[in-house]
Amino acid sequence: MRLPEPVLTPHVKKPHGHTLEHYLQTGGYQALRKALALTPDQVIEQVKQSGLRGRGGAGFPTGMKWGFVPKDSPKPKYLCVNADESEPGTFKDHVLMERNPHLLFEGCVIACRSIGAKVAYIYIRGEFYHVQRVLEAELEKARAAGYVGKNILGSGVDCDIWVHRGAGAYEAGEESALLESLEGKRAQPRLRPPFPAVVGLYGCPTIINNVETICNVPVIFDRGAEWFASIGPEKNTGPKLYCISGHVARPGVYETSMDVTLRELIYDYAGGIPGGRALKAVIPGGSSVNVLTPEALDAQASFDGLVKAGSMLGSAAIMVMDETTDMVWAATNLIHFYKHESCGKCTPCREGSDWMHKVLQKILRGEGSMRDIDLLLGIANNIGGKTLCPFGDAEIAPVVGMLQHFRGEFEHYVREGRSLVPLAPWRAREPAGAHAH
Amino acid sequence: MEKVTFTIDGRQVSVAKGTTVLQAAIEHGIQIPYYCYHPGLGVDGSCRVCLVKIEKMPKLQVSCSVVATEGMVVDTRSPEVVEARAGVFEFLLINHPLDCPVCDKGGECPLQDFSYAFGRKESRMEFPRRTFDGEGVRADVDFGPTLMLNRNRCIMCTRCARFMRDVAGDEQIGIIDRGYGSEIATFREEGVHSVLSGNLMDVCPVGAITTRDYRFKSRPWDNPNAVDTICTGCEKGCNITVWIKAKPEWAKGSQLARITPRYNADVNQYWMCDIGRFGYHWVEGAERLSAPLVRKADGALEATTWDAALKALADRLGRADWGGVRFALSAHASHEEMFALGRLAMALVGDAAQSSIGVGWNVSAKPQAGATRFTVPDVDAPNVGGARAFGLVEGERPTPTVASLRAEVEAGRVKALYVLDPGPAGAIGDLSWAVAARKDGRLPLLIAQGPVATDVTRAADIVLPGCAWVEKDASYANMQGRLQAASQGILPPGDARDDWRILADVAAALGVPLGYDSAHEVRQAIAATLGSEPAVAGIAALEFRRPAPAATWLQASNPMERLKWDFLFQDVLPLKFENTRDPGHRAGEKT
Repeated sequence: MRLPEPVLTPHVKKPHGHTLEHYLQTGGYQALRKALALTPDQVIEQVKQSGLRGRGGAGFPTGMKWGFVPKDSPKPKYLCVNADESEPGTFKDHVLMERNPHLLFEGCVIACRSIGAKVAYIYIRGEFYHVQRVLEAELEKARAAGYVGKNILGSGVDCDIWVHRGAGAYEAGEESALLESLEGKRAQPRLRPPFPAVVGLYGCPTIINNVETICNVPVIFDRGAEWFASIGPEKNTGPKLYCISGHVARPGVYETSMDVTLRELIYDYAGGIPGGRALKAVIPGGSSVNVLTPEALDAQASFDGLVKAGSMLGSAAIMVMDETTDMVWAATNLIHFYKHESCGKCTPCREGSDWMHKVLQKILRGEGSMRDIDLLLGIANNIGGKTLCPFGDAEIAPVVGMLQHFRGEFEHYVREGRSLVPLAPWRAREPAGAHAH
Repeated sequence: MEKVTFTIDGRQVSVAKGTTVLQAAIEHGIQIPYYCYHPGLGVDGSCRVCLVKIEKMPKLQVSCSVVATEGMVVDTRSPEVVEARAGVFEFLLINHPLDCPVCDKGGECPLQDFSYAFGRKESRMEFPRRTFDGEGVRADVDFGPTLMLNRNRCIMCTRCARFMRDVAGDEQIGIIDRGYGSEIATFREEGVHSVLSGNLMDVCPVGAITTRDYRFKSRPWDNPNAVDTICTGCEKGCNITVWIKAKPEWAKGSQLARITPRYNADVNQYWMCDIGRFGYHWVEGAERLSAPLVRKADGALEATTWDAALKALADRLGRADWGGVRFALSAHASHEEMFALGRLAMALVGDAAQSSIGVGWNVSAKPQAGATRFTVPDVDAPNVGGARAFGLVEGERPTPTVASLRAEVEAGRVKALYVLDPGPAGAIGDLSWAVAARKDGRLPLLIAQGPVATDVTRAADIVLPGCAWVEKDASYANMQGRLQAASQGILPPGDARDDWRILADVAAALGVPLGYDSAHEVRQAIAATLGSEPAVAGIAALEFRRPAPAATWLQASNPMERLKWDFLFQDVLPLKFENTRDPGHRAGEKT
């Protein structure tokens, strides 16, 4: 069943849609009452039945993840909400936190209670200064109203929520690096195992969930796990936010369910490509996933559908590129991002990202050779699967994908010393490669 | 101990449960390179060169962080692994300056060695290398009072940062910036100020951290010999290796090239302090005594022969005065020397021998963080344990007793004071009162035995040149009561003699021979007299090391790296491998 109406973002356009008063008027915190009436195990069971999968990128079943927390551990347990939304093209969590913060708080309390945590940390990205102010102001109201804090709604359940703003690092969105950062250390990933569900924040069992994942939790209790499971295709259930950006008429966040196709998202929701230009490529899940060509437009924009199409849903950040896009420049721009954001802990990522960037810049300057194109693939191959965290696989995805589908453009640069497509006016004014940093 | 058996490269290996694949491979001599792992610092998983293929795992795994399980099948040589590993080496070298010809680590560098063994023949990198502080040796910047840092050579293994955090308990080193720009740094570039700083050179797998002491001093192949011995700087008794430079007859300069720690799980693990590591220069310093000295009628000390000096001593020390002889003994003296001195005292003073000997040493607090896992003791002498075993001092934490002689000396009741201090200058503690008493005549005769010229030897009537610890075979008991052997690495200068023999010679010259012809006989006599004392138990069977060819002797406190060296680059059996799980089996230690 297609999602009939937005449930995560119904009031985002109302000026006061983010306030506690408005949230209560529209039935807020009722899911919390329902969840508090259940035992923690029942809550987890409901989440499992709903089929909710993590919205951060990997799509791991949320209920199963919660079940990994050791019940007999004498240590405190923690919930960390990963709000370090840094994936290029992704801006859905930002909208949820800024425009519907109480949904997140409600989800946090339900999640905390089910895993036995008394504290939840919302780790928000360093640049989200405004979001922090909104969250903290609304959190104060929720605390005063008894929805967060001690003895919530008289149930005897304690759950406090803290908002922690990072210092602005992409790597801090990797769950173990997030924990390191939250502990006051450098945002660098940890070795696994042990997994955070067993040894996480301060060495205690910790569950890390994406903002959108947690925001889906109250929906499950509001409307029922069966309703939730009926939305979207099998195993890809529930409402889903898509961030559509690039060459579209109406870029933005769109809420629907995962039975939607890329074509619908681009041409119906986002209004198609302006000027009637043709689509060249689409990156469906943030920059860390493989690029797709127009042949894949009818793929279902779901976890499983996009894997079938040769990519991933990732953070559901759909980046649309029309026929005027210089794919070599796009790859260079993306790899610059990864070079800049590599944490530097492990060798292949630290050294390889910069090297790939240099090779791409060389090609972009028109100085490349055919060997450089193979070298790019060679470097990518030496990074992929050999790094400490998934960052390595993420950083090679745009390069490998672009080379797979648009190798001709790279070769054109090598042969002719210039782009296959006419330079955009703003690039034509600049020396070659200037905007690739 | 519970064991697991699994397969590496078709070989069945059996290791203790909980052992990682990398540790198991190292123990069984299977070649896997590594940088960020260090047995004393644990697993970090960041260098990514220890990649192996493990059956049933889809991706290559870093062997340092995979615990071996029963029946696991590991492959370190499949084309997939070889290629992936070479890829990581290529990454490590794209920004490494490859200035091996001028780098102190060259010749004993794990990056160099492993790159030859596992890396690509040539790099595909064609861009200028990353530089931090400049190029070439200009990139060397101060890294505190003992160290230099060359960030261009750094491969970000973070062993140094982890050493300071986990072992020194004093997190002075951090990483600033991130990604490609990551660099090792200290707060405000103040450098490392730690009594354990020298260990950072040991753990650094490249030439990024070097010590000022050894920098540009020697190349590994210029240090043809090394001897495994112990440090006698304090009562810890760290196990060390002393590196000995070639010294042809025409060459000037010193023979001691450097001192590095040697693994002993029970004493010093992989580490040693800077005091022991860098404080050896006095051994070959300008103040060394190389001939006996006798004060002439004009008041000047004059070099002479042993025969003349011993005759002068016998003449000056008339038999009638024997009862008035007192002994000031440094706790730097070995078991052999203490015992021989005790025998000499009994021959001269008789029953009051015990009270005629005052023992002295220095005590100084070392600035260390409270969280340190390697404490440098306050007692700056190696053999307080021996003095206690011989009954010269008492109590769990004895205090120096040499001052008890002071009143007697100042009252003029002492006919002769015999000072035995084989340590560096002043190691016996304050003897200025004896010097003053000799100068104003209250002390008629001052005899000094020791390796260096000090205020005491300058005031003495007869000076007998002894050996530094690295010039003689001797035994000591450390603060744990552990009997350890210090082995001879170099010859003493000139006519200087082993200290126990000087005492025997003195006794013979006085007509009361001790009856020992070798240090071994002294040890046998100790065993016969005090055999049950824990600090000397087994002393008769103590074995001493000889300097061994060091061409294959990798500079490292890490026995696993020595093993690696043996296996990878020599066609000989790993004779020098010490089992890290079964410490203490080396000769010279109690087992």
